[in-house]
Amino acid sequence: MTARRLLSFLPVGFVAVFLVLPFLNTVDTFFSVSNTRDVLSDPSMLRILWFSLWQAVLSVLATMIFAIPATWALSRFQFPGARLCRGLLTTPFVLPSIVVAAGVLAISQRTGVVSILWAHVVFNVAVVLRIVSPRWALLNPRYEQSAATLGASPWQTFTHIVWPNIRSAVNSAAALVFAYCFTSFGVISIVGGFSRRTIETEIFTQSVRLGNTDVAITLAVLQMIVVLLVFQISRPSLLQTTSTHVSSAPIPLHTKPRGRWIVLVSVVVPVIIVALPLVATLIRSVSYRGHISFHAWTTVFGGTLPQLTVSTWRVIVTSLLFSLATAILAVSLALIAAQQMGRQWFHYAEQHRILRFVTSLPLVVSAATLGLGIVITYNTDPFAWRSHTWLIPVIHALIALPVAIRILEPAVQAIPPSLRAGAALLGSSPWHTWLRIDIALLRPALLRSVGISAAISLGEFGVTSFLTRSNSTTVTMTISQLLGRPGALTQQSGYVLASLLIVLTVGVTSRA
Amino acid sequence: MKRLSVFIVAVASLAACTSSTSENVEKKPATVTLLAYDAFTPEEGIFDEFTNDTGITVKVVTGGDSGVLVSKAILTAGNPEGDVLWGVDNTMLSRAEQASLLTSYEPVNTGDICINADKEWFASSDIPIPTRLEDLVLPQYRGLLVTQDPVASSPGLGFLLGTIAHFGEGKWRAFWEALKGHVHIAPDWTTAYTVDFSGSSGNGKYPLVVSYGSSPPAEVLYADPSNPLTEPTTSVIESTCFRQTEYVGILRGTTNSVAAEALVMYLLGKKFQESMPLSLFVFPVNQEAVLPDLFVKFALRAKDPLTVSPQDIELNREKWLNEWRAILL
Repeated sequence: MTARRLLSFLPVGFVAVFLVLPFLNTVDTFFSVSNTRDVLSDPSMLRILWFSLWQAVLSVLATMIFAIPATWALSRFQFPGARLCRGLLTTPFVLPSIVVAAGVLAISQRTGVVSILWAHVVFNVAVVLRIVSPRWALLNPRYEQSAATLGASPWQTFTHIVWPNIRSAVNSAAALVFAYCFTSFGVISIVGGFSRRTIETEIFTQSVRLGNTDVAITLAVLQMIVVLLVFQISRPSLLQTTSTHVSSAPIPLHTKPRGRWIVLVSVVVPVIIVALPLVATLIRSVSYRGHISFHAWTTVFGGTLPQLTVSTWRVIVTSLLFSLATAILAVSLALIAAQQMGRQWFHYAEQHRILRFVTSLPLVVSAATLGLGIVITYNTDPFAWRSHTWLIPVIHALIALPVAIRILEPAVQAIPPSLRAGAALLGSSPWHTWLRIDIALLRPALLRSVGISAAISLGEFGVTSFLTRSNSTTVTMTISQLLGRPGALTQQSGYVLASLLIVLTVGVTSRA
Repeated sequence: MKRLSVFIVAVASLAACTSSTSENVEKKPATVTLLAYDAFTPEEGIFDEFTNDTGITVKVVTGGDSGVLVSKAILTAGNPEGDVLWGVDNTMLSRAEQASLLTSYEPVNTGDICINADKEWFASSDIPIPTRLEDLVLPQYRGLLVTQDPVASSPGLGFLLGTIAHFGEGKWRAFWEALKGHVHIAPDWTTAYTVDFSGSSGNGKYPLVVSYGSSPPAEVLYADPSNPLTEPTTSVIESTCFRQTEYVGILRGTTNSVAAEALVMYLLGKKFQESMPLSLFVFPVNQEAVLPDLFVKFALRAKDPLTVSPQDIELNREKWLNEWRAILL
């Protein structure tokens, strides 16, 4: 029991060291009550707060409209191309926001709220799919079949059988999507147009462009309070339905189950919406003012990147190493946390609350603030970590941790305790039980959380750009460097790297 | 459970091992650290001569765009992340001075922020390329320009400062009021130049864009090899150019000031200065540096650029940006 308790400190300690401490230090240095009063009585700041809120709420709704049917179809049915669709829907999550945003902009041709919502849907369908799908896949379809046999309408079946079982996963996905959209930076600043400001873009403006770090920190604290409130509201209740779930094979579509057209539409529509900006990226990698040319592809595959001194391979290897380290670190910590939270013993309720709260924090602290916090906190020996390369995957793991936990936790909860008890009764050691029952049943969820943690690392841009780096340029950073320079070949090479990222991710995620 | 914890510890220590390689290089006396923005891409091997002559290795570390870099440097003033700082420009110089960020600094390069025009677009329409800022509010030029949000983007800020320098404190607002609704504001250079502008890789609809005086040679040098250019597809409107000067300085708190001084000397020397045009697309400040042909032919360095003093910029930046926003929103 003590070993387990010590273990539970690992995720909390990790977040404390790399997030809580730097954030508190920043707040302590810059926060003041009078400043908060000024900010809260400034009408333009209140407008920013209001806009951040409603665009995030609309983004969550829009994401759910496309994501829930797709999740249902992909976790319940089996058909040719299902894996590819899953991969496509997950891919945007790893892409730098500049690529997705430029894709959306190239098609919509206009900045504004519609483009913001579209880009947020493109990014976040993956979040819902990855969190809700493992839970949905564990729900035994026999319950639904029985309900249908007993005369329940599809709607009744959904509200009485399916919804209670997926509710907590949907809630946690929705809260996560809200957090991402509420604190979104790249999407808003590119497709929102200059009149659309959110708290996160304003934090950046105030701290970086205007040098008003105090105003920025006040905004960061406000932002944190809002997201924490949302997490509080969406917190799963301790009394969950824990009916026994047995993983069951998805229904093959070629057996022509009822309503197979609905299944197809549920997948195809979100895939089109998500894939269009990706296709725009591929097109731009081979076209220049009407000419089709593969020179950028041959240049990039030849190993050189126009105007940059670093080689293609080096950039790719760096990114892969970072994402591997991120996945190992994030998923190990997430597994510990999820197993702690998954055991519903009431005398641990308080500890679970703390664990849940602390591990949610990476979602609520703004990237700019965290970046600045680390720079000003870990600046003296023996803790002069701020310019160290290992900090990059560590920070990526920090950002991936809450997502990985949200993928693993419902799956951990869905493991029937009777299986463990049975194993113990038959003489299995705790370690054996854990390996043979927990890990075996968690395999799909573990793979998904590895995939998404690696993806987060590949695509992370916000905090990384605040860290001081040496010879550790990632693919994402390189793409933005290439797109940030004139010259057709340079631009196209940026899109080639982005396309490469797309192809790689579709490949990886359609397997996991 | 116990074995799990062993596994976790093993993973953690593995992570620690891989990291230690970067620590070893850091505090050797014969290394000098150059802190620069992400877009700092010097010619490959350019520091070899410096290392041969002095025995000092140059370690380049990057940390965000120039705004992020300077903000971080100011927050860590006195306890810097490097020895020499590359990339404070004239719009941020005063802020750096107020924070006593640098013990000494000197201009290291210049570049002009100017309106670029899509030559093809203007050739196929019956209107000439505008020559003055005033032209932009004329009916035939309405809706042709894309610039950047000056709050978020440094060329955007440069262009706004240029209009302030040109029209003066009394009249610049009237210019922007007349331009309102007839100018497109992009969030950053990348979107403006590569998505909205018609003259480069994008398929945009705006034939005028705020970019640099050195963008045309970059278009030629990095053209698609299957569609090589003998001359740029874009041209620069000289009267709209705002002069941007970048500085290199020694960071206060460095324990390595001798090596830092040597590096600054090298950065200002002929060899490095001559490498800058084609690697960083900026003009040298060293008079002895010879410009490459491509720059002589196609890059523009305004003879009489628009300027605003760093002190005025620092004093008025926030006010001007707020006024600009109030007009354009």
